[in-house]
Amino acid sequence: MLRAVIPSGPVRRALLGRFGAATLTAAVGSFFPLAHAREAMAQAAGAPEKKDLKIGFIPITCATPIIMAHPMGFYARAGLNVEVIRTAGWAVIRDKCIAGEYDAAHMLAPMPVAMSLGVGVAQPIPWAVAAIENINGQAITLANKHKDKRNPKDWKGFRFAVPFDFSMHNYLLRHYLAEAGLDPDRDVQIRAVPPPEMVANLRADNIDGFLGPDPFNQRAVFDGIGFIHLLTRELWDGHPCCAFAVPRSMLTEAPNTFAALLRAIIDATAFAQKPENRREVAAAISAQNYLNQPETVVTQVLTGTYADGLGQVQRVPDRIGFAPFPWPSMAMWILTQMKRWGQVQRDLDYAQVAQQVFLSLDAGKVMKEAGQAVPANPLRIETIMGKSFDPANPAPWTERSVRAG
Amino acid sequence: MTRPYVSIEAVTRAYPGHVVFRDLWFGISRGEFVCLVGHSGCGKTTVLNILAGLDQPDNGGVIVDGQEISGPSLDRAVIFQGHALMPWMTAEQNVAFALSCRHRDWGKAKLRAAAREALEKVGLGHAADRKPSMLSGGMKQRVGIARALALNPKMLLMDEPFSALDALTRGALQDEVARLVAEAQQTAFMITHDVDEAILLADRILLMTNGPDARCAEVVVNTLPKPRDRANLHRLPGYHALRDHILEFLLTRSRTLAGTRPAEWDPRRPPEVFPAGPPTTIPAAA
Amino acid sequence: MQRQVPFWQSALLAALLLAVCLGAWEVSGGNGGTGATVVDPEYAALVGQAAQSGGQTPFPKPSQIGARLWELLRDPFYIRGTNDQGIGVQIAYSLLRVALGFGLAALVAIPLGFLIGMSPLLSGALNPFIQILRPVSPLAWMPLALFTIKDSTISAIFVIFICSLWPMLLNTAFGVSSVRREWLNVARTLEAGTWKTAFRVILPAAAPTILTGMRISIGIAWLVIVAAEMLVGGTGIGYWVWNQWNNLSLADIVIAILLIGLVGLLLDRLLGAVARLVAWQE
Repeated sequence: MLRAVIPSGPVRRALLGRFGAATLTAAVGSFFPLAHAREAMAQAAGAPEKKDLKIGFIPITCATPIIMAHPMGFYARAGLNVEVIRTAGWAVIRDKCIAGEYDAAHMLAPMPVAMSLGVGVAQPIPWAVAAIENINGQAITLANKHKDKRNPKDWKGFRFAVPFDFSMHNYLLRHYLAEAGLDPDRDVQIRAVPPPEMVANLRADNIDGFLGPDPFNQRAVFDGIGFIHLLTRELWDGHPCCAFAVPRSMLTEAPNTFAALLRAIIDATAFAQKPENRREVAAAISAQNYLNQPETVVTQVLTGTYADGLGQVQRVPDRIGFAPFPWPSMAMWILTQMKRWGQVQRDLDYAQVAQQVFLSLDAGKVMKEAGQAVPANPLRIETIMGKSFDPANPAPWTERSVRAG
Repeated sequence: MTRPYVSIEAVTRAYPGHVVFRDLWFGISRGEFVCLVGHSGCGKTTVLNILAGLDQPDNGGVIVDGQEISGPSLDRAVIFQGHALMPWMTAEQNVAFALSCRHRDWGKAKLRAAAREALEKVGLGHAADRKPSMLSGGMKQRVGIARALALNPKMLLMDEPFSALDALTRGALQDEVARLVAEAQQTAFMITHDVDEAILLADRILLMTNGPDARCAEVVVNTLPKPRDRANLHRLPGYHALRDHILEFLLTRSRTLAGTRPAEWDPRRPPEVFPAGPPTTIPAAA
Repeated sequence: MQRQVPFWQSALLAALLLAVCLGAWEVSGGNGGTGATVVDPEYAALVGQAAQSGGQTPFPKPSQIGARLWELLRDPFYIRGTNDQGIGVQIAYSLLRVALGFGLAALVAIPLGFLIGMSPLLSGALNPFIQILRPVSPLAWMPLALFTIKDSTISAIFVIFICSLWPMLLNTAFGVSSVRREWLNVARTLEAGTWKTAFRVILPAAAPTILTGMRISIGIAWLVIVAAEMLVGGTGIGYWVWNQWNNLSLADIVIAILLIGLVGLLLDRLLGAVARLVAWQE
């Protein structure tokens, strides 16, 4: 059973060595309702308990699978009647989820982690990442006047915007700046700004740049306000961004609904990943009912053939990717960054929390049923800006200046 | 000694450091019309307010028809100086409102009919559906009179009702009030500083000295024969003597007698005088 | 003493001023830009019109706004999905919320104002609370409401309620306390009793003042709903504005401003008509 939860041999042995089998089993079991999960997985073939669902999303391309599943019929095929509701901001999505107005939601990947830990909310609320929505798909966009300041070392005093404090954008930007020798808290200003306002703020010269989601990077280019400095794909190829989040109670109370929903999302994700489908998806989601953006902007983001704001047409087909597997190693990296930048003070058992929040087991099972390849080892070594992150040894990444080779 | 219909007994009204009047006694017989005459500041309006129940005396009380009063009552209808009509109601609605307070069980139709009747009595049947902003000053006051009389009160109280009107209208209304009061044999108490008005309407006229610490110096009995009307009033013998007496009081004696309380003056029985001559009818029992 | 100007004269002048301003706006150039003209046709196809010549997408011209307005008004009540509904539908949602919030506020403010107006003790006791709560912005109430009430629709209605309460409350209290003493005396001498006096004397006497308070309140309520909907979204004209903002579609935002103003005007006129009904002259 432990092998199922922590397949990685070295990690498992290390933990066993520290705590002993009985303690470890008890500890993991208390947070991860294994019995329930196994039962849930076993009888997942039944009809969904609740058919009418409300899912909130933020109108950015990260939410592509969640959005496209509506007009392209993936929810209907899974036997669900889903209403996708465009929401005003991350804080509102979080509040509506807590209040129960949404059954599931599009969230930034770190948000369920923060909520489960009780960071930034009144008390810990157990939410989980059922699937990753997208990988890559973000960019650092700067105002046109900085066309000659491409080296981050010259960015002292800049004002940056990120969508939310608990976001991959915040962590990636901070790491990028730290690698260039800047202190993200002292040498620059980083503000949380809702994505649509990023372009307007850039235009009004309130900020010098932002690390934000598409389509707003492309929109800045489209409107002649800024240029794309760097795709996040080049920082960490395969980094998670947004997630499809569910309350952990859904696993126990409505396991069939959960299975059907996950199936719909994973099917949609697989469809969106194929390059030949990207144009069709772009056309479907740019409508007024969903993203409400000019179709050409969304197409440029999804196909990777885009104008970079500096007069060149770039061709990066995997500018944005759709791979649903929620790697616990990703969660562990997020946790180390939360510790690194002081969002979390206490010591954490990263592996334990990661397993609770990133439901790799469930996703893996559904992916297998859908005929997709499932990684054998859910903890993999990530390469970020040339340095590697080994989940077996997360400590170096909690330092402000990362030493890992 | 039997009490008069309305009896003011030992009434005092004082504020810290300032006495308006003290130990006031007088009575009004049933069907009698009594006027109070004096300068401003002698407490005339205060007396009326106390009679109406709108104000409480600091000492003493008022007994009407054997019962001591405590607060305003429909039995003591008031005609205010500034007509006091509700501007959002028509003339008829104003009177009907008063009637609805008196007769709680009357239906709408009945109230309207009675209101119209009351208005016709004062000659305003044609203006019943007009709001006060569309009535002249005199007409408004007539509505006020109609409203008060419609209640069939035990006593009618009037606070300088015509002082805000022009001389011509005033005259017309004085005649009208004289007629209406005589018709209904209404007990009435009026405050005025118009001497001719007092002589026209009143059976007895109370003369108040100037304040503070005002008192009723004299009671002038008006022995001029009734019914009286303005056109012929000045021809009646005794009119001029009566008028001169009151005028003299107002011009001089109200001031010279102010503040003093001569030994022979009894607050319970202020001296009665008959400047117009001896009474031709037996006066009502005092 | 101002002379009476015929209506058509001032109307004509207003129309002339509007035409001049719109004309100047239409022909004004400049779209601020720092870049050079783009040469590559493939690149040009991928960026917006203004960016092709090195500029930034400009503020829309009146003709563009007019065209968009026509487009929106042609089919104002369509519903093509949860997130895409006609502008008429959105305004209807907002009006519904305003009606509920304002109605509730009136139900609380007028009786309470009555009591405060009639009782100096109550007035003195409640005054400090009223003075402190009155200036609080709706945007400050919003998070508090969301946290306690949780449901966003009810929170929006609560915020409208709490912001439009004060003018009605204060005006009612003032109107009631300044009823002519004379009329109250009349009612007393008629032995009218508390209820009859309250409904047939005090209420009609204070009605014009109360209605003034209501007119002020409806203006505030309409203002607040737009702000509240921008924060929590879903449906409504405020949410529509936020949505068009997402799309950086300024023409739509200008149109929204026009429509918001128009609806506000109509609401005020409505209450103005009611005010005329209860007005009285001496």
